[in-house]
Amino acid sequence: MVSGALIFQSLILGLMLGGLYALLASGLTMYFGIMRVVMLAHSAAIILSAYIAWRFATLTGLDPMLSLLGTVPVFFLMGFLTQRLLVSRLRPATMSMMSVLLTFAIALIIEGLLGYFFTGTQRRINLPYGTASVNVLGASLPVVQIISFLLATVSMAALYVVLKKTRFGWALRATIQHKEAAQLVGINTERLSGYGFGLGLATAAVGGAALSLQVTIYPSLHWHWIGPLMAIIVVGGLGSIPGAAIAALVLGTMRVMLEIPFGPTWAQTIFFVALFVTLMVRPQGFFGGRLAQRF
Amino acid sequence: MPSASDHIVGTGVARTRDRGVVRIIKGVVLLAGAALLVSWPSLAANPYLVSAGVVVLNYAVFASSWNIMGGLTGYISLGHAAYFGLGAYGTALLIQNFDIPSFGAWFLAGLLTLVIAIPVGWAALRVRGASFVIVTIALVLVLALIFQSLRGITGGSDGLIVPRPFPDLLRPEHHATFYYIYAGLLAVVLAVWFVIARSRFGAGLKAIREDEDKAESLGIPTTRYKGIAHALSAYFVALGGGLYALWFGDLDPIMQFSVLLSAEVVLMALLGGVRFLLGPLVGAIIVGTALEYFVLNFGETQLHLVATGILLAVVVLFLPDGVLAGLSELVARFRPQATSIREMTAEELQNQRVSEVRPGSGVDADPTSSERSEQELAPVERSPS
Repeated sequence: MVSGALIFQSLILGLMLGGLYALLASGLTMYFGIMRVVMLAHSAAIILSAYIAWRFATLTGLDPMLSLLGTVPVFFLMGFLTQRLLVSRLRPATMSMMSVLLTFAIALIIEGLLGYFFTGTQRRINLPYGTASVNVLGASLPVVQIISFLLATVSMAALYVVLKKTRFGWALRATIQHKEAAQLVGINTERLSGYGFGLGLATAAVGGAALSLQVTIYPSLHWHWIGPLMAIIVVGGLGSIPGAAIAALVLGTMRVMLEIPFGPTWAQTIFFVALFVTLMVRPQGFFGGRLAQRF
Repeated sequence: MPSASDHIVGTGVARTRDRGVVRIIKGVVLLAGAALLVSWPSLAANPYLVSAGVVVLNYAVFASSWNIMGGLTGYISLGHAAYFGLGAYGTALLIQNFDIPSFGAWFLAGLLTLVIAIPVGWAALRVRGASFVIVTIALVLVLALIFQSLRGITGGSDGLIVPRPFPDLLRPEHHATFYYIYAGLLAVVLAVWFVIARSRFGAGLKAIREDEDKAESLGIPTTRYKGIAHALSAYFVALGGGLYALWFGDLDPIMQFSVLLSAEVVLMALLGGVRFLLGPLVGAIIVGTALEYFVLNFGETQLHLVATGILLAVVVLFLPDGVLAGLSELVARFRPQATSIREMTAEELQNQRVSEVRPGSGVDADPTSSERSEQELAPVERSPS
């Protein structure tokens, strides 16, 4: 018999994992909303950021979180350049298919370079609080998970404020909603699409640093993340950030809960089960709006 | 979207003669290529080169089968490695657990994969574009997870040893035998593609590729057509996978159910040109050889990933129609150009038009026809798109 405390702990841990998924998936949603691009390199960028955090921490001995001061702007610029120099060159007619291949290529290049420079060895940051945990109502929660959950929450909140309260956010959402109409009211949608990509990749930088705290990293790790993230954005409805966030929380929790009876490997398949069920029942996703209809 | 027929520009006696020459050259190149492919095992200096040939043919079968779906319908699937893996594991497991003779198991595994591919295709093809690609990737990832988890049956990540179909053959002969079996399968796949591409069914598939909504409104049963194309291509990929299992003799879930494998195959098809019968074969020869080279020279490093990535990006950005399309454009460039300056005056042309029209009915001879032909007098030069 599984004890109530274990279930409660799994529930909390699941929600925390879901929070991290939500942040990572929001970036993917952003690219898709702006350009109808499925960014396969997103999770490779996450791992890249995790590697930078690890390298930073081992070289300087400072907290890996400080690497964010550098990676967030750099990743923003990288995202901007990726969109302006590469993705925008694709033919509009075959954009959604070809962009997958293009971003797959970027993911391969990142994975290959990581493997070349840091070898395939598994890496882990040694933190003073690495093994510490906090006891909340009988549930023992690792500090690193709490930190990464907080980081994800803060970033999501920041993203929300930027998108809802600033002129930049309005313009970005206008671009997502209706590109031609946005152009008519004088928005430079080309450049804004670039900024949107930058924003998406900046969330990957944050997510990578959060990830580096709690897992062992290796170059091909991104394959384990891309599947769940893709499933989340389809289940949530492509292009809808709230949908992705809800799907992330639900699926993240289910995954951790299912680990109790089935073990981690089988629990992982919940994402794919959810993906196939979504396609059977509601191909446009469960929380998707108008955007998701055709894609 | 440009179609393959766009490249043929202009008319005239000079062009037809010219085209005859091109056709002869093409025929000679094809014959030489086929002769080289068939005689490779006897030409190759050592058994390694024969085995490299088998690897390349394996890729060629995979890419050409993928192209039944990818090239004709335009649906780019990154999930065909799933069918490759199912064919391979199906063959191996049937031999091991049910004592079925090697090639019987191979055939049966193909059919079983077909049975699996039909509902999967039905589900995946409900969505288009980005979602479709996501589903196909997910298919590979989930199968990799399942085959790793089912340790008792598949051996998990320890791998699975496949009994050899010809136990008394020496290694070089083993490679040569499989080389010819692969070549035979490749010929079948190419023949299937050739027949489909020229059939009514194939025309429907191409219509889906160009504009699915219009195709549907024209009465093409798009769902059924896509499903059939997907199932066919999955079937042949599975046969390729089964052969791989029999030839290589050692399976590993990570290697078989790999999105990377799918992507390499898509790269081959795109690089060669998905609209051409031999495009995937050409791509497989180029990329397959390059991959072998990288494995030989930089074995342990991950540089082959970087190289694959860069090549894929370059192809997608600059050569999305493939080298064969680039070649035929190049040939077109050296042919006499369709000039924008007509050798006839507009008046002569007008007279010619009228005299052509007159013997027929009076429909076209009304005053509006002169307006229309004036529009048609605009320069006919078309830039290669």
